[in-house]
Amino acid sequence: MKNFVFILLLTLFSSMTLAGGVYQEPDAFIAEIFADKPPKAEVIWPDKELKAQIKDILGHDYKGLRIRYWQQDTRTAWVLDEIGKDKPITTGFVINNGRIERVRVLVFRESRGWEVRHAFFTDQFDNASLNKDTQLDHHIDNISGATLSVRAVTKLARVALLLDKIVNAQQES
Amino acid sequence: MTGRKPKKFTAFLWHRRIGLVAIVLVIILAITGIMLNHTEALKLDENYVESSLLLGWYGLEPEGEAISYDVGEHVITVLDHQVFFDAYPVAKTGQSFRGAVKAEQLIVLAFDTELVLLTHDGELVERMPTGHSFSEIQRIGIKYKRPVIETSDPLYYMADEHILDWDVIINEDIAWSQKTTLNDTKMTVLLESFRGRGLTLERVLLDLHSGRIFGGYGTYVMDTAAVALLWLSSSGLWVWWNRRMKQRKKRHYRKHHR
Repeated sequence: MKNFVFILLLTLFSSMTLAGGVYQEPDAFIAEIFADKPPKAEVIWPDKELKAQIKDILGHDYKGLRIRYWQQDTRTAWVLDEIGKDKPITTGFVINNGRIERVRVLVFRESRGWEVRHAFFTDQFDNASLNKDTQLDHHIDNISGATLSVRAVTKLARVALLLDKIVNAQQES
Repeated sequence: MTGRKPKKFTAFLWHRRIGLVAIVLVIILAITGIMLNHTEALKLDENYVESSLLLGWYGLEPEGEAISYDVGEHVITVLDHQVFFDAYPVAKTGQSFRGAVKAEQLIVLAFDTELVLLTHDGELVERMPTGHSFSEIQRIGIKYKRPVIETSDPLYYMADEHILDWDVIINEDIAWSQKTTLNDTKMTVLLESFRGRGLTLERVLLDLHSGRIFGGYGTYVMDTAAVALLWLSSSGLWVWWNRRMKQRKKRHYRKHHR
């Protein structure tokens, strides 16, 4: 019985310690998305208006003056950071025709809330787009105990969709 | 033999015992209390602690050494995972600092698997993870005003002017970034920035007075000292009253029974 409890605790502890970390290098994510032939990276330098829109979504300024993205036909890929509780969560987004094609949590640095990496959570974003209030047109279910991480990834999804919209608008004009 | 039984646990005995045990804490409480009552006069909130021991106790003393690289008229330093542009904190990192260069448009900082781009004024432009594209970065240099990195392969890559694309080059005419040592003035300014506004004497005295300086249980220790003070005052009163009554009885006995 003692051994069973010991093994159970050891398993629990090891699963807790292995929960966070680098799940996929951001550049590996980009390579995978574009079948190992990623297009050349491009950058967007958010102007005052875009900065204000991003701030409106995140609740604070985005750290960094430029944001890199990769584009091929109608698809754009973004790797964005947002703090869940204390540390940034790095998440990759693929947008296709203004709708989310894929969300993947790439690096999770916090001690709690890593459940957002799982497909049962990220799959909720599939096909989501922005409505006129820059909100997602899909409802995203919360994960109890990971509320801040859920909020962070959801905000980033909105930012990625907004950036995709801006990039496309710039190219059309 | 007098026939008198010694009183083992009298109030006086406990008054003495508790007094001896609490003496240090009561002295701390009294002195810090008096000083805190005169914070403004003693300028406790304007005086900053310089003791490394105390700063370390508060987690304000850096544990590692500062690693610095000159980038033109500025200097980039990493101290305990904090990246500084001169003395201004710009980013945090958990990786080894491999160097920094001033390129034509941006300042480029190299870490094991990440590049951090800053404007020439020290504003953060972008953080670029490189873990998949390159093996671990060893050092960074400059060629034709463009950043060049050496990886652990070893291979040499030079960036385009926007630092978006990298081409393999040969190791020729590359000016590698060199570590520099901060002079005393710059180091003092950097440490001030690292410690934030610093640790005031008032903060230390407040924490000493409340016991928080001794950690989570420190407040209970000071609570015990306060309870001991209460006990000492009541037991002192009791001892005084008891002696007075005894002396009265003695006087009464002498007056009426001689």
